[in-house]
Amino acid sequence: MTLQEAQTYLLERARERGVELEALATGSRELTLRARGGDLEEITEAESAGIGVRVVTGGKTGYAYTEELTPEALDWVLAEAVENAELQADADGFLPQGAALGRHDLLGEGLSAPVDEKKRMALALEREVQKDPRVRQVGAATYAEREHQTELASTQGAAGGFRSGYAYQMVNAVMGEGASVKQGFELKVSREIAALDPASTAQDFLYKTGRLLGARPLASGRYTAYLEPKAFLALLAPFVSMWSAKQVIEGKSRLADKLGQRVASAVFTLYDDPDHPEGLANAPFDAEGTPTRRVYLLREGVVESFLHNSQTARKLGHEPTGHASRSYKGVLGVAPHNLIVAPGAGVRLEEGVLVTDLMGVHAGANPISGDFSLQALGLKVEGGEAAYPVENFTISGNVFELLERIVAVGQDLEWSVIFLVGASPMVEVADLAFAGA
Amino acid sequence: MLNESTAERLIAHALARGADFAEVYAERTKSRNLRLLDLEVQEATSGIERGAGIRLFFGTQVVYAYTNDLSEANLLEVTDTLARLKGGRGRVDARGAGGLDFRKTAPAGLHAPERTFEAHDKRWRIERLAEADAAARVGPEIRKVQIYLIERDQEVLVANSEGVWNTDRRVRTRYMVTAIAENERGLQTGFAGPGLSVGLELFDLEPPAEHGRAAGEQARTLLGAKPAPAGPMPVVIGNAFGGVIFHEALGHLLETTSVARKTSVLTDKLGEKIASDVVTYVDDGTLPHAWGSSEYDDEGAPTERTVLIEKGVLKSYMVDRWGSLMTGYRPTGSGRRQDYTYAPTSRMRNTFIEAGDASIESLFEGIEFGLYAKKMGGGQVKPGSGEYNFAVQEGYVIRNGRVEEPVKGAMLVGKGPESIQRIVAVAADRKNAPGMCGSLSGSIPVEVGQPHLLISEIVVGGEG
Repeated sequence: MTLQEAQTYLLERARERGVELEALATGSRELTLRARGGDLEEITEAESAGIGVRVVTGGKTGYAYTEELTPEALDWVLAEAVENAELQADADGFLPQGAALGRHDLLGEGLSAPVDEKKRMALALEREVQKDPRVRQVGAATYAEREHQTELASTQGAAGGFRSGYAYQMVNAVMGEGASVKQGFELKVSREIAALDPASTAQDFLYKTGRLLGARPLASGRYTAYLEPKAFLALLAPFVSMWSAKQVIEGKSRLADKLGQRVASAVFTLYDDPDHPEGLANAPFDAEGTPTRRVYLLREGVVESFLHNSQTARKLGHEPTGHASRSYKGVLGVAPHNLIVAPGAGVRLEEGVLVTDLMGVHAGANPISGDFSLQALGLKVEGGEAAYPVENFTISGNVFELLERIVAVGQDLEWSVIFLVGASPMVEVADLAFAGA
Repeated sequence: MLNESTAERLIAHALARGADFAEVYAERTKSRNLRLLDLEVQEATSGIERGAGIRLFFGTQVVYAYTNDLSEANLLEVTDTLARLKGGRGRVDARGAGGLDFRKTAPAGLHAPERTFEAHDKRWRIERLAEADAAARVGPEIRKVQIYLIERDQEVLVANSEGVWNTDRRVRTRYMVTAIAENERGLQTGFAGPGLSVGLELFDLEPPAEHGRAAGEQARTLLGAKPAPAGPMPVVIGNAFGGVIFHEALGHLLETTSVARKTSVLTDKLGEKIASDVVTYVDDGTLPHAWGSSEYDDEGAPTERTVLIEKGVLKSYMVDRWGSLMTGYRPTGSGRRQDYTYAPTSRMRNTFIEAGDASIESLFEGIEFGLYAKKMGGGQVKPGSGEYNFAVQEGYVIRNGRVEEPVKGAMLVGKGPESIQRIVAVAADRKNAPGMCGSLSGSIPVEVGQPHLLISEIVVGGEG
């Protein structure tokens, strides 16, 4: 059975049983080429697919999914989903009225190139990195691509699909100088293979990791922090759930009563853009079929909107914002597409610490309290310039204090896909607690 | 999932296209997840994951493919695509033509569930979880209690060109309680999350009331916590999940995934003294019903108890097939993967520091000012430099040998190879705790563990 046949089968069985059903199907393709020692160490090639349903019966919602596309497995999916729905206490669930959503190709020919060319890109990346004598070991130099076909159909009339994907280059290596050793990585992602250049990715890696060699301890104290784009996005990532209306409703967001209030510096604006020219997570409609649009989380420091799916929007009496998220294995949630920190007037380095790298973000940040304590690497800034590298320190505080203390935002956007998909310029934060030696 | 003749033809097909080794891994996993908030079911989901991964070795080069379509025609086509992608010699030879004589082994049921998932209906589960919810409400400060229940039933087949044909079944159950407390000073959370390779008997082996209470008390304690002190200081780390520090700072550095690439600072150090005398570090995949146990690994090799460090001396790495090929070290049954979408790599199973003979009290004696990291959160490490960090979930200040006020927001930061030299005393109360470990081959269940132990100096990151 194909995915579309499975979708049709499930919709028909659901109509027979008198339950509302939404079937989200995803077909994915992966190619990963990992170079090491002048040859390809690992090649992964794959196609996979699965289908997941959300059913609503008597206002109660349940889920189930399968990667086995047989009538037996699909019947099991429907039976389990209905049984799961019946456990729910809440009886105000519903499927939104659907519409024809069209078919969209967001990828086009972006990944089209001969496979030998892609192999050469992986090999060239390793070679370029190894040109620097400070490189001790290359863990992996990778070219990879991912492509997804998303198909949505519901008994309420939603029907449509879109094709998306991206290619990336990643290098992970150890550099050393004397006794100082640093492991770093560089990741470049684009919807266009033509935008990826092994030599420039290698240069960025060597610059970003090489500048940390010979790092000294940092004295504990409060400093001005200049957070590089990727470090700022990593720090922001665990707290984005505060804007999720689902978290608000469940009493797990400290922004619950802050709509329309200022919680951040007036120089700080944060929005979600589902249709950015360089967007790596663009989507014409969300996981429920709601058309997407640009939404401001913070405009000049003021909380302008939460992120909604249709359920949360109805509960809070707001408009849906096109942020329903669900993978075929998952349950309905809320998530941003491409999160953008609006560029500002610029940052001028004076005195403080340039934070280049944050670790432990999944463990060291509490999205409910807003507290964070994260290991960082960076460069001490003295006399208006990055003077020397520093290590073995943490930055800590509460995200609301941090947002209020943003004094300047840089001009140039840099993309990240590590903890969230988004882009940010450099961000300057006054008076942040640093703990070191 | 796959019949013998299909596996045989597939492997012969791969060898005929020049592969030195061919392996097929097939998997069917049934899972159920339940999330309760204040005992109301928020989401319940059930699923079937099914697929196969084909791995070919050309020398030490690995090509890997996965698919959900287990038909013989598709699997043969996938193998062809892989051989084509590999390129190069294009040699077609007669190896594999004689067929394979699989040595079939089935699991002995060492970790088999006593009470299967079918033994009780879904309402029964909610009733048992209600015991955790009630116990978590240790005071009016507890505002919300969230509970996840996770059930997995994974059937696995591994067949390879050396004649291995192993099936394994891994049944795992875990519940996780998060208590959210609030007062005028803000929100804090407490956590407890027992899990084992068992079925529904988990609820008897790990009583929900006990773990619910622990989560509630932790959240309440943290409400009164002050910002953690900062700077280098002696740290006593609690037992059980406290072991996460050495999982991160030591365990990951002993996987051939990084050792074979020489990206671990502990590469080429077998027989060397790398830790203090009081440290014996073990990775044991055979512990009955432990969260990270299985009878066979995901390459079809039997799991074992591997002594990694004995009294400070490095005895073994954790070695998978590729790692063994690269380094010559004996495989240790450590090839693991999240599911068929990942090729296996060397991974930890249940990894812990063995019990020592110090009394717990003696660890605290003589500390003028330090930190008691009673319950740990998660962390991360860069194996190339050994730099690690991890969060202290529940911490206390130690003053003049006494455990005093609770502190929040502490982060332990350092370099693994330095920290393991600074373990000065190890108590006798070794205990393990479950967690999920993420690495190259995905997210897999592991246990970490240790007794209470004293580290003479660690940099503590905090606000105070």
